[in-house]
Order: sequence, then structure tokens, then C-alpha cells
Amino acid sequence: MMNILTARKVRKTYGKRLTAVEVLKGIDLEVSKGEFVGIMGPSGSGKTTLLNVLCSIDHVTEGIVEINGQILQEMKERQLAAFRRDALGFIFQDYNLLDTLTVKENILLPLAIKKVPHKAAEQRFQELVEVLRIEDIVAKYPNEISGGQKQRTSAARALITNPSIVFADEPTGALDSKSATALLKNLEQINQQRNVTIMMVTHDAVAASFCSRVLFLKDGALYTELYKGDKTRQEFFQQILSTQSVLGGDGYDD
Amino acid sequence: MTISRLISRSMLKNMRHYFLYFFSLIFSVTLYFSFVTLQFNDEVLKQVSNSPTAATGFKVASYLLYFIVLFFVLYANHLFTKRRSKEIGMYQLIGMTKGLIFRLIAAENIVLFSGAVLIGIITGLLSSRFFTMVLMKVLEQEALVQLTFDSKAIIQTIMLFSVMLIVILVQLSWMIRRVSLLSLFTASKQTEERVKRFSVWQMLIGALGLVLIGWGYYESTQLFASNQADRILINMLLILALTIGGAFLVFRYSVSFIFNLRRLSKNGHLTATDVLAVTPIMHRMKGNAKSLTLITVLTAVSLAISTLSYIAYYSGEKSVKTAVPADYVLTTDKGPAFLELLNQQGIDYRAVTYEDIYVDFNVSSLLKNAADMQELFYAEESTKRLLSQSTYEQLKGKIELQEDEAFITNMSGYVSKLYEFNKQGQIEVTIDSLDTRLNDTLKIVDVKEESTLAHNGSMGVIYAVLVVSDQKYAQYKEFYGNRHRVPQTLVFLENKNDVAKAEELYEQSGADIREIIGEGEKQIIRKQNSYKQEWQDYMNIFGMTIFIAAFLGLAFLLTTGSILYFKQIAEADEEQASYTTLRKIGFSEQDILKGIVWKQVFNFGVPLLIGLLHSYFAVKSGWFLFGTELVVPMLIMMGLYILMYMVFMLLAIQYYKKVIKSSLS
Repeated sequence: MMNILTARKVRKTYGKRLTAVEVLKGIDLEVSKGEFVGIMGPSGSGKTTLLNVLCSIDHVTEGIVEINGQILQEMKERQLAAFRRDALGFIFQDYNLLDTLTVKENILLPLAIKKVPHKAAEQRFQELVEVLRIEDIVAKYPNEISGGQKQRTSAARALITNPSIVFADEPTGALDSKSATALLKNLEQINQQRNVTIMMVTHDAVAASFCSRVLFLKDGALYTELYKGDKTRQEFFQQILSTQSVLGGDGYDD
Repeated sequence: MTISRLISRSMLKNMRHYFLYFFSLIFSVTLYFSFVTLQFNDEVLKQVSNSPTAATGFKVASYLLYFIVLFFVLYANHLFTKRRSKEIGMYQLIGMTKGLIFRLIAAENIVLFSGAVLIGIITGLLSSRFFTMVLMKVLEQEALVQLTFDSKAIIQTIMLFSVMLIVILVQLSWMIRRVSLLSLFTASKQTEERVKRFSVWQMLIGALGLVLIGWGYYESTQLFASNQADRILINMLLILALTIGGAFLVFRYSVSFIFNLRRLSKNGHLTATDVLAVTPIMHRMKGNAKSLTLITVLTAVSLAISTLSYIAYYSGEKSVKTAVPADYVLTTDKGPAFLELLNQQGIDYRAVTYEDIYVDFNVSSLLKNAADMQELFYAEESTKRLLSQSTYEQLKGKIELQEDEAFITNMSGYVSKLYEFNKQGQIEVTIDSLDTRLNDTLKIVDVKEESTLAHNGSMGVIYAVLVVSDQKYAQYKEFYGNRHRVPQTLVFLENKNDVAKAEELYEQSGADIREIIGEGEKQIIRKQNSYKQEWQDYMNIFGMTIFIAAFLGLAFLLTTGSILYFKQIAEADEEQASYTTLRKIGFSEQDILKGIVWKQVFNFGVPLLIGLLHSYFAVKSGWFLFGTELVVPMLIMMGLYILMYMVFMLLAIQYYKKVIKSSLS
């Protein structure tokens, strides 16, 4: 199977030499095409930092990240922007929709700087809003719709460019359990039917149970990983919970 | 933590935000203080005492300036306090009373104001010297400017800024009272406008805005039309209402309307420029309409004032030339004495002498619009000067003229601006000898606006001079008879460096006295000014006005420019989250900046454009009351404004650049 993403000896340090804090302590990672990878770990374990350096929003202190055979550390800021635009999709916890644009305009936003024929774009837009069940709200503004709808809009925006990989940072963090489940089912469906690679940071074991593989971070290093394999979601969920309890729970620093 | 420590901490923390507010305060104090200092400067006082209008002008201007500054500081304070509404909410959340928060921020403001007044007065002392020098230059006075330190000016400045501080504190307490805890959780979204469906009404109102402005412009071109003279004040108010109201409607409705049409036509497929310029502008139009209208009006007013004053200054030379077309005009029998003195001193000059002959003719037959004849109250035949072709040629160069042809020169004054005259036509000429009269018809081949001869002091509205062929001239002269009038001489110095010496000789010879009426106490001496004297008189009357107007124009300009700049800074900060999103999904800094540049072009360009148009029509309607040149001074002034706005725009773009850069780090 082909690797979409490869990370080698990724280190990230914040602060000056004397007060430096090492957040990532040399992480090796590989993600194949079509995987739905979850990243879990207690607060402060470096989940979001890892995601940010993998998706080119933050710079590594040491090590390399390779996506689609291209090494991010060798690219200039401008090339990185173009790369994010063409190859990556993003879903954030706080949606990051522009209040001044309608749902449709928000979804088509990444195409604003990309030459895509209107017809093709329109077709892809229609497909996505159908899959994500947001056909009825495309003319509305973000503050007229619910959190779940916002997050599905955000997902549609991430997918509109046909990215190689989609990064999601706590996408269900601000949603109620019903909206969260609906969104995760959508993501699972898109992952399986369309073979879209997804990488998701979450602290929620239910959300993680939708993934095909879950990585656990502890103190900036890879602690363990779990594969779903042929297990049911319920079984996988139990396995994740027990691993979490070994890790020392979530949300509390010990 | 004690209150004073809290104040000093929050001030240090907010240094970046304070900096601009502090700077605008210092700027206001400097501007005001240097103007007031100017008012009390001895040299200036000496000049002002020459003309009582300048003294009142100074007073009025200092009030006006105070209001500009007050408006500016109020606006800046409003903007910067709004930026801190979250901080204010946070203080409330941790249990501070609103009274305590008010005292906290009031204390900060008192510290800021004291600092600003102190620094402003010091810089004002330096800049006032500069302004005085400029003023003296304008007045063409070569006085040495003293750096005066006037306690009256300082007291006045401190008093007025104390009053301003009180106003600011009232504004603050009002703003703090309005901040509710809820605003902490619902971010600043009060000025959003939903423009999903456009009602026919909004469309009509938007169009109405454009119509109102157009109507206002039309009225302005008619303002000084002769048949509306009795309604000037009403018409002025009407024009003001139309153009201001129209501008508001344009900002409030037309802009969103036009942008929305563009947006709808895209059906969701927006370009980067749409995302970064069009939609945020639409989004904010409701809240911004009022301030943009205000800025437009201020721009228009200041531009009109400065253009008119610049027209007066720029036209100075021409209007002085109209009165005194040569370096010296000799009208009395003392004339030859002056020429003799010039010869003795070895000063080179050129002299043209002409006889003092008058004929009657009526220019109304040359009117383009025959209906104007009713209005042209001086159209009745009046006495005008006669000149022969050969004399004219000595002054202005070679011309072609048949025997029964003639042309009119010296057709200056605002009458020729108000009414249009044909350049060709026929006129009836009457020459009165002592007992009989001769009628003649001449073919007019040209009407020239140039100034050729000095008018004789009795200020006619038309100084027209008739130039006829030498044959006709001889004929008329013979009929006119010898009236023992002293021929007049125009003296042109060959070398301008001789002016100072020649001025002395002019007075020494007594040629500068036209006539002396009466005797003793009631004696009135009517003088014939030399060119230089006339120029100084002109500058004494207009120089001060011009300077004050230019000063106010500058203050207006800097104020409106700064306000637009501050607004953009606030917007940039508010929109930083959007830039983060855009950069995360793959917009490069350059992509975002391109859209921002368009937004700036709109934000600075549209108020400027409408302001320019407004001022163009304002100036056009009445400029001839101020001078004789329109196009050049207006273009220079407009160019200056456009340049200054561009500077502010570039500053704003620079700030956006910083915000965009730091939005993803």
C-alpha cells in the first residue's frame, strides 16, 4: 500500500534555549492511502502540535514530514500555501467559517484561488452537500445554522478540492453527541466509499472508535497504536477505553 | 493588587494599542497649540492688525479647529475603547463594579492626556515657528520669526484640552455602561447586514441616492445663475442636503446593492478578491455608512476650502496684473520726473505711452445668450478706453486689423465668467466731442481676456478696452478733440533687480499720487499703486485668509485620513481570524494581500472620489468670486489630496500585511 504521509524523527521545541519545552520528542509515523487515523492522548501530550506540524501549519524543529512524496521542510512559505490548497483539507474544532460568506460560498472558498471550471465545481459541490445533508442551508450564513451544520459545512469545504488527506482537529469537540455521531458517520462513509485519507485528533473515545487505526501519544512520544481490524465499533471502543485508562485518563494532568 | 498597579500594568500591556491613540492625541494638541501660538505671535499680530477680517478669521478658525480636533479625539477614543470591550467585560466578570472600571480607564486617560498635552506643547512650539515662517512667506514679509513662548496660548490649550478630557470621560462612562457581560460571549457582530434578498425598495433607495447627488450637482451649476440671485441661500442649503443625503444613501444602499448584484451573479463561486474585499465591505456597510458619509463630507468641505483659497493665491498675480498691468503706471504730470530719475540712476526700462481717450460702446450685442441682456445691468453704454493698433502692438505684439475692424481687450473680471460673449460680432461706437457726437459701426474680430491697461480706479465691472486700426484711431481722435489730458505711460523695468531702487524713486518723484482731494484734515490722497505695492496690498487682504484656510484644510485632511486609517486597523484586527482560516486552507499571504489592496482602494478611494466630485462642483459654482484661474489650482489641490490619501492607504496596507503575516505562526 502506498504511503500518503510519512514523518521521520519529528521534534518540536517551544521557547528559547534556557526555557525550552520539548513538545514532540522524535515521532515516526506512516499513513497509507484510505486510512482513517485517530490521534489520542492526555492534555499536553502534543496531539494538536503533531497535527499542526504534519499539516504544514507549524514548523518542525527537527525531522521531516513527507506528504505525497513531497518534503514539507524543503518548501517555501508560498509553495506550502499552494500545497495546502491543492493537496490538503482541514476541519477545525471551532469550524473557522467566514461569517461574511454564505454556506455555499464558504464551501467553494478554496476554489477561489484555484482555477477550477465552474461546472465541475458545481457538480462536486452538489455531491458533497448531498452526502453531508446540508442541501437546505446552502444560502444561509454561518450564524443562522447549528453547530453540527457548521461542522458539516466545514467538512464539505475540506473535501471540495479532492485533497489527498484531510486533517481534522477535534471536529466533534464543540458538538452535542447526536451531531457528533452524525458527522463521524459522514466522515466514515466518505472515508470508505471515496477512499479519502483522514487524520483526526480527538480526546473522545467514541469519536476515535470510528477510525481504522488510533495512535496514542504520551508526553510527546508515540505510546502505542490500535488497529480496528475486524472488530465491531463497540469492541474497538472498549479497547480504546482500556488503553486510555492505562495512559492515565484524559483531560487531567497527573 | 492596588488600582494604581493595575493601571500601570494594563497600560504597559496595551502599549501597542495605546500608541496610536496617544499619537493622535499628541498630534491634535500640536496642531491646536501651534495655531493658537500663531494667533498670539507678535509678527502675526502686526499683520493681522492691518485687516480686521483676518483677526475674526483667526478666531473663527481656532474654534473650527477645536471642533475638528474634538471630533477626531472623540472618534479615536470611541474606536480604541471599543477594541477593549472584551477587557472591560473581563473586569466585570471577575467582580469589578462598573464604577471601578470607569475610574480605572479614566485614570489611564488622564495620564495619557497629560502626557499628550505636554509633548504636544513642546512639539507645537517648534512647529508653530515653522507655520509662522510659512505665513510670513505667504504674506511676503521678510520678518525674522522669533520663537515665542506665550503663556496665553499654553493656558488656552490646557483649558480646552481639559474640557475635551471631560467630554471624553463622559463618553467613556457611557460606553462602559453599555458594555454588557453578554457581549463577551457574542463577539462583535452588531453591524452585520444580511443581504440575501434585495427588496425593490432598497434598490430604489440606492438609485435615489445617485439621483439626489446628480440633482445636487445640477443645482450647484445653477447656483449663481442670474435668474436665481434672490434664492442663493435656500439653494445652497438644498445643495448641501442633496449631496450629503445622496452620499449617505449611496454608502448605505447603492454600494451593497451593486456588490450584491456581482455576488449573486457568481452563484457562490467567488474569487479571492470577492472574499477579501467585496463581502467584508458589504458586511460592514450598515455600520460604516454614517462614518463614511461624514468623512466624504469633511473631505469635500476641506478640499473646497483649500482649493478656493489656493485659487485666490494662485490668481493673485493675475488679478494684480489686471489692476496694474505694468511695473509702474504713470498718470500724472509727475510722470516724466520719474522717468528722468530712472535715467539718472541708469535703470533700464521700456515705456509705452498712450492718450487718454474714451468712447462709448455696448458689449451686450456680443452676448451669446440674448436673454442675459436683461441681467447685465451695466450693459447700458458706458465709457471705455480707446487704443490704437500700433500702441497695442507695442504692448502685446503684432496683430492683423482691417480699417473698419476692431477687437476688445482687457475683458476681465468675473462678468466675463458669468456670461458668455461671442468673439465676433458688430458693435455701435459713439464718440462724444465737446458738443456733437459721432456714431460708427465696427466689426469685432476678437475678444481677449488678457490685461492690457490699468483701469482708472473707478472700479467698473467691465474694464474692456477697444482697439481700432490706426486710421480709425486718427479719425476718432480728431473728432474727440484735444482735452488737455495727460497721456498715460506704462513702464516696464528691464531688470527685476532694480525694483527696490525704482520703488524709492517712484515715491520720491511723486508720480505715485494720482490726485489729492480736499485739504487739511479731510484730505484724501488717491494713489496709483506700482505693481509691487498692489501685490502687497492684495496679500495683506487675502494672504491671511489663504493661510488660515490652508491650515484648516490640512487639519481636516489629516483628521479624515487618520480616521480612515484607524478604522482599517480596527478592521484588520477583527478579521485576523479570517486570515488564519484562509491561510490554513491554502491562501498564500500574497493572495490575501491582493484582496486587501482592493478593499483599501474602496475604503479610501470611494470617500475620496465622492469628496472630489462634491468639491469639484462646490468650487465650480463660485470659484470666480475668489480668483481668475480654476483648472491649475484645482488640479494641484486634488492631486495633493489624492497623494495624501494614498499615503494613508499605504500605511493601512502595511498594517494589514503585518496582521496577515502574524495570523499563522
